[in-house]
Amino acid sequence: MPRLPPSLFHTAAQIHPLAPRLLPVCRSLASVRSELRWIAQHVLQSQSSHLVPPRLRLWQLVDLRATGLPLQYVLGSQPFGSLDIKCRKGVLIPRPETESWTLYLASLLSSSSSPSQGLRVLDLCTGTGCIPLLLSSSLSARNTPLSSVTGVDISPRAISLAQENLAHNLRLGTLLPSTGSKIQFLQHDVFSPDFVSTLGKEEVDVLVSNPPYISHRGFATDTARSVRNYEPKLALVPSPEKQALSSTEHPEDVFYARILHLAQQLESPNKVVLEVASLEQATRVVDMVHSSPELLREYKTIEIWRDEPAYGGGVIPHRIEGINITVSVRGEGNGRAVYLSRD
Amino acid sequence: MLATPWICRSCVRSLKRIGFSSQFVRRASTVDSSVNLPPALLERARNLTAEYDELNAKLLNDFDPKIAKRAGEVGKIASAFRQFEKAKASLSELEGLIKSDDAEMREMAREDLADTNKELIESGRNLSVALTPKHPFADMPCVIEIVPGPGGTEGRFFADSVYKMYLSYCANQGFRAKAVQYVTAEGDGSKKGNDGEVALQEATIEVLDEGAYNHFRGEAGMHRVQRVPWTETKGRTHTSAVAVWVLPSFPENASAETEAEWENPESDFYIDASEVKAEKMRASGAGGQHVNKTESAIRLTHIPTGITVSMQDNRSQHANRTAAWKLLRSRIAQKRREEREEQARALRSSVLSQSQLTRSDKIRTYNYSQDRCTDHRPGLDMHNLPDVLRGGETLHKIITSVQTWMTEKDIQALLADEEAAAAVADSKAKKGK
Repeated sequence: MPRLPPSLFHTAAQIHPLAPRLLPVCRSLASVRSELRWIAQHVLQSQSSHLVPPRLRLWQLVDLRATGLPLQYVLGSQPFGSLDIKCRKGVLIPRPETESWTLYLASLLSSSSSPSQGLRVLDLCTGTGCIPLLLSSSLSARNTPLSSVTGVDISPRAISLAQENLAHNLRLGTLLPSTGSKIQFLQHDVFSPDFVSTLGKEEVDVLVSNPPYISHRGFATDTARSVRNYEPKLALVPSPEKQALSSTEHPEDVFYARILHLAQQLESPNKVVLEVASLEQATRVVDMVHSSPELLREYKTIEIWRDEPAYGGGVIPHRIEGINITVSVRGEGNGRAVYLSRD
Repeated sequence: MLATPWICRSCVRSLKRIGFSSQFVRRASTVDSSVNLPPALLERARNLTAEYDELNAKLLNDFDPKIAKRAGEVGKIASAFRQFEKAKASLSELEGLIKSDDAEMREMAREDLADTNKELIESGRNLSVALTPKHPFADMPCVIEIVPGPGGTEGRFFADSVYKMYLSYCANQGFRAKAVQYVTAEGDGSKKGNDGEVALQEATIEVLDEGAYNHFRGEAGMHRVQRVPWTETKGRTHTSAVAVWVLPSFPENASAETEAEWENPESDFYIDASEVKAEKMRASGAGGQHVNKTESAIRLTHIPTGITVSMQDNRSQHANRTAAWKLLRSRIAQKRREEREEQARALRSSVLSQSQLTRSDKIRTYNYSQDRCTDHRPGLDMHNLPDVLRGGETLHKIITSVQTWMTEKDIQALLADEEAAAAVADSKAKKGK
């Protein structure tokens, strides 16, 4: 990281006496200004439940943020679409990229014809529960019928936080009570051999997942410091025993292989969306689909979505070198998700 | 009325000697009291009244919501026209009575004449207001954007004053206003202008009341300031400017009807999503799980027009995006309307040229050393500048007079249109012969 000039600290001190403390973690004045404002807003909004006077609490929270703890953990929440998602140490913070593709998927689902008994949605590695909650909220806002929404995670912490988020958003009114009763969260290992039978379901219509996708090496070199130090490695990097199951030279892709296998067992859901790290990883996942004749037969549409699938004017064909496949890439930004659809 | 608020005694004496020279008397006025409505306008009113009667007759037989709507639109004009006709008839009757031999009757007629004249003027104005087309966005809430013009830091400081002026004006007048965006300039952060002004880069106020657009649309344009800046050491007066844009905006909970409007390619508010480029103003890199940036800023660029909108105030990317789209739609709708008006103007006679409001026109001057605020369109001078900047009654007077002036201009434009149409019809008729 480049060194910050001392004059920047001087300028920051004129904005607010606490601003220089945030500068090392925020790295820019604009960001410092926004974060200070958000922390101050949070202090004022949540004042009634605290005994410490506001100025002291601002000080405390800024101190906490200055240690490098992510702002979402300091404030305990992150806006996600129209929802407010609670965040706590030990569970991955929802990312804006995930928000973008989730909202785009919701718009696709509500514009295409859906089964009359309602959609069945399954989210694997759900974490805070942000994806199934946002899908439910935006689908019910567009009058698309839902039959059941299930989130699965291996971590008991994540499941209890997801339950809390469901209750929290029902209380805020961002989720309708009629929708809330259809959502459930289960603690289960995606890799366990009896996964499908314990799920108690034979079919789903929409399968989504934001699984751990960073390699050991990538975790050490590419991740931001606040991610490395404070967010759960379990949600970022597939654990060594799972990586051992992989037969390819990219063991971080092991979750995709498993989820695509599950997709076949679940009678090929209508739509599958898997979040990935980059265009390279996306092409590897597309290659996995192409190497399975059953999947290739079922899924007519295979796309790679970038960070903003709704923008940039439609799809651009992208040729993958080496394996001679052409795949459509949609949107703007980094490669972010692989989308499979039966129609 | 005198152009100056006070005149010293010696000047008054000298004025007495030379008599009131015309140069001291203000002639600019916002009120046009003429009753002489041009024949074209009266003809149109007559036609519309006939149409109204016809529609009413139709409605008696069977109810059709379309006809009822049209009748509602025309009804106002018809009743204004009837009132005008009545006043005119009674006036001519009174004039006949004045000529009568009976002295008592003459006296009574003369007494009534003044009242009837007043009524005639009143109903004439009502009629022309009723005939003036309503601005298509008149019922909408609005967004006021304040951007400093060229002129460096001084313009930025004054932009802050303008921002505060509108906020407190809204508070004083009971408008529900909300600061959407308030960005101070980087680098000038430590300096303060007159009265603790902060160097402003851009500010946006949303006025949520319906009809706010009609109230504030006259505020759009260049606001010029003349004063000795706080930072000026040699006492020189500086002139700088602040651009104010007023755009129609949507109510907070957009109804299904307005959302349908967004999807309708005919509508001003329609934007093809594929023509918009979205940039997140965050550092490039892997993204996703690798990083955890809190910056939620969104920048939208409409590629065909090059209009750019950025939003960064909210923690939620979603909320920023919604706000950015809203602003982009408003700006594009405004631009389209301006283009349409420009085309219409090219067709019309030059009557309109003064009333066209684009962003480049200087509309108002705030002169600190003379304690004066001048609006250049109605030609109105107001004193008590501190009250103007506090958004008090003085500002309200200015805004009201601008509104009146704009209504007058709209009527003039309408008349020009009618006359042009009549001329075209005439020449066609002649050719036909």
